[in-house]
Amino acid sequence: MWTDLADLLFQAYERFGLLPLFIEIALAFIVIAVLATLIAYGAILWKRYKGFLQDKRTAFISPIIEDLITEQVLLNEKLGTDTPVDDIEFDQKALANLIYKKAFVRQILIDTLIQYRKNFRGEVGDLLRKLYLDMGLQKESYAKLKSIKWERKIKAVVELTQMDISISDVTILPLTNSGNASLRAAARNAYIQLSKNEPFKFFDIATEPLLPWDQLEMFKIITTTKDIPIPNFSRWVSYSSNKSVVTFCLKLIAHYDQQSAVPAVMDLLANKDHYFRASAINCLGKLTAEVAEEKMVRIYNNQPLICQTEILKAMGRIGSGKHLEFLKQEFLYSSNFDIRMNAARSIIKHKSEESEKLVEELMQITHEENQLIIRHCKNPLIKY
Amino acid sequence: MFSTFLEYGAAFFEATVFVYGVSLLIIYALLALLSFKNIQEYLKKESYNDYKVIVASPLAPGISVIAPAFNEGVTIIANVRSLLTLDYPKYEVIIINDGSTDDTLAKVIKEFSMVKVDFAYDIKISAKPVRGVYKSTDKAYAKLVVVDKENGKAKADASNVGINVSSFPYFLCTDVDCILHEQTLQKLVRPIMEEENRRVIATGATLRMVNSCVVDEGVLKEIRAPRAFLARFQEMEYIRAFVLGKMGWSKINAVPNVSGGLGLFDKEIVIKSGGYDPASFGEDMELMMRMSRYVRDNKIPAAIRHIPVTLCWTEGPTSLKVFMRQRTRWGRGLIQLMIAHRKMLFNPRYGRVGLLVFPYNFFYELLAPVIEFLGILYYIALIMTGQVNWPFAIILLIFVYTYSVMISTLAVLWDQLTFHYYKDWKDVARVASMVFIEMLVYHPLIVIFAIRGYYFQLSNRKHTWGNMQRKGFQKTTSKTAPSS
Amino acid sequence: MPNILVIEDDDIMLKAIRNILSKDGYTVVTAKDGKEAFEKLDSGTFDIVITDLMMPYANGLEVVSRLRTDESKKGIGIIVVSSVGNEETITEAFRLGADDYLKKPIMAGELLIRIRKLIASLNSKGGLITQNK
Repeated sequence: MWTDLADLLFQAYERFGLLPLFIEIALAFIVIAVLATLIAYGAILWKRYKGFLQDKRTAFISPIIEDLITEQVLLNEKLGTDTPVDDIEFDQKALANLIYKKAFVRQILIDTLIQYRKNFRGEVGDLLRKLYLDMGLQKESYAKLKSIKWERKIKAVVELTQMDISISDVTILPLTNSGNASLRAAARNAYIQLSKNEPFKFFDIATEPLLPWDQLEMFKIITTTKDIPIPNFSRWVSYSSNKSVVTFCLKLIAHYDQQSAVPAVMDLLANKDHYFRASAINCLGKLTAEVAEEKMVRIYNNQPLICQTEILKAMGRIGSGKHLEFLKQEFLYSSNFDIRMNAARSIIKHKSEESEKLVEELMQITHEENQLIIRHCKNPLIKY
Repeated sequence: MFSTFLEYGAAFFEATVFVYGVSLLIIYALLALLSFKNIQEYLKKESYNDYKVIVASPLAPGISVIAPAFNEGVTIIANVRSLLTLDYPKYEVIIINDGSTDDTLAKVIKEFSMVKVDFAYDIKISAKPVRGVYKSTDKAYAKLVVVDKENGKAKADASNVGINVSSFPYFLCTDVDCILHEQTLQKLVRPIMEEENRRVIATGATLRMVNSCVVDEGVLKEIRAPRAFLARFQEMEYIRAFVLGKMGWSKINAVPNVSGGLGLFDKEIVIKSGGYDPASFGEDMELMMRMSRYVRDNKIPAAIRHIPVTLCWTEGPTSLKVFMRQRTRWGRGLIQLMIAHRKMLFNPRYGRVGLLVFPYNFFYELLAPVIEFLGILYYIALIMTGQVNWPFAIILLIFVYTYSVMISTLAVLWDQLTFHYYKDWKDVARVASMVFIEMLVYHPLIVIFAIRGYYFQLSNRKHTWGNMQRKGFQKTTSKTAPSS
Repeated sequence: MPNILVIEDDDIMLKAIRNILSKDGYTVVTAKDGKEAFEKLDSGTFDIVITDLMMPYANGLEVVSRLRTDESKKGIGIIVVSSVGNEETITEAFRLGADDYLKKPIMAGELLIRIRKLIASLNSKGGLITQNK
């Protein structure tokens, strides 16, 4: 049989076209598969070798960079004195080290400086920024901004944002409407942080959704960047047609406790979208908007479960005590477990003399499961 | 007359197998391409993604980590501790003591100063009764909840109790003996939070073998390829199934399954779909099917996502007997599921699931062992009757062999692209070398065990294992491998 | 000078804090995870512990809780330095007995001032542990 095979392969070599089609295909694929396997092995080796080199280089470079930052920034003698950060000079000899001319070292340097900036603000943060500028690293970032690869653009935007270096509106504004969701998000964040006059301008024009993941970073930037003029977010609650912008604004309103937004948020209670209404109710609760209580109780019966539980939670947060009877009724007579649970929680959350009396009373008159609910809610060991 | 009938039959069989084989090869090639693209996109995003933001954010959604435990007394403390140190700002850890007969519960109660509390919860999914819920008197462990329940002979039942008790909108399903990466929650929640138009109902990540890894008190210190052959084959198989398979399917929104070892789920959809089925042998995939049906029936645009990074290390069986039990069970689960949901096959009502995911699983997962088995019998028959064209047969064999080597090697490469999992290149070689002998050694075992499972299921054999099957292999190997 | 234990799993931050504190004259010991922290706490004496919240083996809240329930270590001042900024966690830390909470990114000057203040208040309460020995 092996001689047959040898014959066949010889034939295949001589007269490939005469073989049955499936054998031809099979032979062709054997060649392809063997080659692909070899290439894959080559790639694995190459990848690991490159990774190994990179690790080695990083292991060599990182301590040098860390020393530089430690000596020039963290332990800088001028820190904590009256010298303004902008006037602090670095040791030019240390900065002139030839390794800082190499592109990969500069990238590691940028990444490391960003790491430090995430841990330090204040004078140290400002001095890190000055080091970045004095070493001309912004040139690297700007160059990346011009790349056609979107992931490099993003990296550039993130670097410049982290270092608080302004990007011109002409460059950044088009990116805030980019078709690429990640680039769009990065550009929006940069715009908020770096634009001096109207950081929230794109809220007016944003048609694309603001994804929950992107809201995390944006929320952080809005709430931690100093000198951002915080607008009245109710503006977008009333006028924006972009739902994600509105829900995001609701979170900001709650965070900044913008009491003047209460009427605008209350208007959302008539909105058709359940989830939307639920967010609005949640926001009203966090604003402890006593004026909204009446209306929430009034619409309560026509609401889906998520809005009902949100209303009950809001009652607990507001805790005016005016609607304890309502909570009591819900607790005693609702057939839904979540409703009873939330009603009980909200009653207890009032922490008033009246509510405590009510809890005692309820413990007397209600059935076993409801008693268990009350004991659960009162137990300080149970966190959630 | 009889012989012509046989000849026709043979010709038909050959043609079917040929079409089947070629289509399978094409599918694998496509999956390799799709997963490559998907991995590249993922890596690009990872290159600038900052997970510290979610850790620091008050907007992070809450997640309940649900980990059933049955007779885990030896390792329970370290494992609970490791779950309590995940990097995530808002989560709770729910340990379900599934009626352990050892000191699992007592140890946890003592170590974390726990007391029985009055705990009210709604039975949204019916399950075995709960004997008690425990909370710690030490505020440092405020996010720990321990539920003591009657043994339900199934992980599904324990997970269901966890879902009932949980308080957050998402839950992570895992096993208490799995070692999780500290960034597990951040990385799994991201696909949910950055999907534009669909509701992501579940996300999964890659699982690997913990067998030879260096683990210290539940903290993974060094990733190594398993030394034991059987586990090494499994590592290879997992890499291929997750990194190449599921990543490929994820690209076209057709992930068939999120593993029971690690998966993040949208709780509302799970509850509305009825939770895990304790009677199922493959409860993770079965739930996925029902969730897919539910979202389709209710016209919710949904997606299941998979990410290529390994976030969970699990103990793979190293004894043939335990391995056989596991795979037989998987076989049973698959056929049970296919029969239960047979109406979805080619049903356009269920979109991609009905037209793609289900048919793929039916033809290439369920039928593959059967067809292979028959094919081998057929070849043996041909050999016996002297009808084999040896040169052709050998060429075809080499073809199948080289092709499978190529696919598996690509899987190893894709995996190495995502992250340098092994510090030592020898570990890569250890896994990669399995590729060459898999077809001859490991693969036949899988085929036989799967068919064994089908047979058991179809002959309706009572399953006498339950927890033993699920946990039995834990006792065969120790958790921490020697570092030699 | 007072002894300070810094517990932090981010290498950069750990070194940076160590350098800043050493420069100010404190004796600094570092630990990069919960396990190491407990070992160091058992083998040495400290006046102040600066801890992160999320790290391997044991989280920062456990460190705080263990210090506050251990009679011999009750007097140690605790400052939590963490990126976690949600209110619940912060109040949780204080309830367990942390003396101060700094959210990352921190101001180095502020950290030093808070340490000084904490030392002053410890002094007024009965002196530093290391100096009482």
